[in-house]
Amino acid sequence: MILPFEPTPNHIVLALVMPLLGAFLMQPLSRISKPLGQLLGPAVLAASAYLLAALWLAFGDAPFVVAIGGFAPPLGVVFYVDQLAFLFATAVPLFTLLFWSRGEHSPDAGRSEALMLLLAAAATGLALSGDLFNIYVFYELTAVASFGLVALGATGQAAGAAYIATLRYLLLSAFGSVLALVGITIIYRLTGTLNLAQIAQLAPSTLHHPAGLAAFALLLIGFGVKGELFPVNTWVPEVYATAPARIAALLAGLLSKLAVIVIVRLLVLAFDGTGANTLLLALGTLGLLTGELAAWRARDFPRMLAYSSIGQLGIVFIAFSLPGATGILAGLAVALHHLVIKSALFGLATRWNGSLAALTGAAKSAPLASALFVLFALSLIGVPPLPGFWAKLLVLTGLAELGSQTAMTALLVVLLATAIEASYLFRLAVRLYQRPEPGTKPMRPAKLDVAVAAVFGLALLVATLALDPLAAMLGGIAAQTADVAGTIATVLPEVVAQNP
Amino acid sequence: MIALSFETVVITCAIGLLIIGALGLVLSSNLFRMLLALVVAEAGVNLLLVLAGYRGGAAAPILGVQDAAMPMVDPIPQVLVLTAIVIGVGVQALAVSVLLKIHQTYGTLDIRVLREHLELDIARTAGITPAGSREEPAGGRPLPPPIPATVSASTKAPTKAPIKALAKESAEPSLSSKESAQ
Repeated sequence: MILPFEPTPNHIVLALVMPLLGAFLMQPLSRISKPLGQLLGPAVLAASAYLLAALWLAFGDAPFVVAIGGFAPPLGVVFYVDQLAFLFATAVPLFTLLFWSRGEHSPDAGRSEALMLLLAAAATGLALSGDLFNIYVFYELTAVASFGLVALGATGQAAGAAYIATLRYLLLSAFGSVLALVGITIIYRLTGTLNLAQIAQLAPSTLHHPAGLAAFALLLIGFGVKGELFPVNTWVPEVYATAPARIAALLAGLLSKLAVIVIVRLLVLAFDGTGANTLLLALGTLGLLTGELAAWRARDFPRMLAYSSIGQLGIVFIAFSLPGATGILAGLAVALHHLVIKSALFGLATRWNGSLAALTGAAKSAPLASALFVLFALSLIGVPPLPGFWAKLLVLTGLAELGSQTAMTALLVVLLATAIEASYLFRLAVRLYQRPEPGTKPMRPAKLDVAVAAVFGLALLVATLALDPLAAMLGGIAAQTADVAGTIATVLPEVVAQNP
Repeated sequence: MIALSFETVVITCAIGLLIIGALGLVLSSNLFRMLLALVVAEAGVNLLLVLAGYRGGAAAPILGVQDAAMPMVDPIPQVLVLTAIVIGVGVQALAVSVLLKIHQTYGTLDIRVLREHLELDIARTAGITPAGSREEPAGGRPLPPPIPATVSASTKAPTKAPIKALAKESAEPSLSSKESAQ
């Protein structure tokens, strides 16, 4: 792709710098000229998505390291850029652009736009960081930006509810960060480093014992708050029901996946083959079961989506807990599938934010949106030709191959959850195509939301047709992520040369 | 008697602060106290982080002030703890501002009351009967038809009154006086 300058790997820093700069320029620029301020955000996000895609094409073959300030890895802070990092870093500006809120939810323009850009910058940093403390800092930045975005959604009747939801989310998230920081402290105490590659190198001798495992558990709970992990996901239904649906789409789709990616990096590099996998499997199974059961009981559309998102992330955790590259492949497939579908469904919920009963007969006034809902529901459940089926199949075969008692329980729970999922999704699908009750008129989703959902639906269908190249690409990414020795050799070439 | 080193004592204190904070978060029902518990927990973890680089009798890691040959404490945790403190203060300030908004809206900070308000408000905007309410019969009996949106606005005032009375005992006097001063 064409860039106005000769690209070097170091230009990837711009993908972080541009949205960050844009976030702080947003307020003054909106004061000077309102249209210019409105243009700034989408322009910056489009530019950084384009830049990341161009760099991915140019340098995506082999993983590389960007040493910030030119300090070499064991001492300096690094960005570790492999295909996985590229995949999620490119998704960040792309999804933020698709769910750009244009300040329609807040009285004074520029505020939510600035927070959205801050969120994009921090999330990009989260995908690229190769350093435990930088991950903590970027994680906190995304958290603060999302608190602001959720609270800004407070308008009209439910204004107070949005504040309560924000504060409860904030307290849980901040306490999670405290636990994560304890985990980071333990790891630093045991290994003497925060660089992920060096931790990976030292892990077999320093971290594979109960204290190291405790550190992983603390980090898992800490970062699991954003990833909607089982015991720390109480904020999910409240926040998604009170926040603007586009923000909920970003939180449920994008941010949860980035938190999961952080956990996966830790698991693969430092804790693979220890009790960590079992812990993740157990928590994922519990999350799946509780989430789907709660979704079955939900009677309003946003909270049904929120609970189902908890369940889906349970499957993501189950998939990533499978050992080796097959686990990462299954996890990536499920995570990307959920990223696309849940974002689109929350987009539809912008106007369909009421009870499920109010959606009776919506197919008449919104035929395309209803058809898209049915398509997404089929793929979520896992009806064969759609990508959701293949993603779930990868998880199920992985669990069956593992064969342990916990894995077989998880397999049963996945099947049971699929049945529950089918029950409540079909119940709503049937409702959409019923005759509307006389005198009521179901809401129609806005044209833009339907257009975004249609793009995702189209992507889903294209993925169904191009399954083989897609699977090959994901397999390549998974193999690269699982290659611990390769990661260490990339980040710390001198250390590896000295002690082969 | 076991001889306790200075480091062991301080680490124990840090873990104690963490536990106090965690218990405070779980046990208190006032949102402001929960926030204070979080502050205590953060202090504990910051102390723990500094101790990760502690060396007995070593100097502060400042170049040019100390003799370079002297042993120094590990500077990395100190850098980290500065960042963690700054982040913590920022989040706490944000939390207090949201806390004020909640108090302005509902006049209470009792989490039990607020949780009920939250459930009611979400249900009202969605146009459904709140879970576990008097309107929803237990035992799987059929639900009454959902409340139409036009009625919900008028029902807001009477539903709030009884909850407020319930909250009276745990209102936070210091915060409400602070707010009235503004």
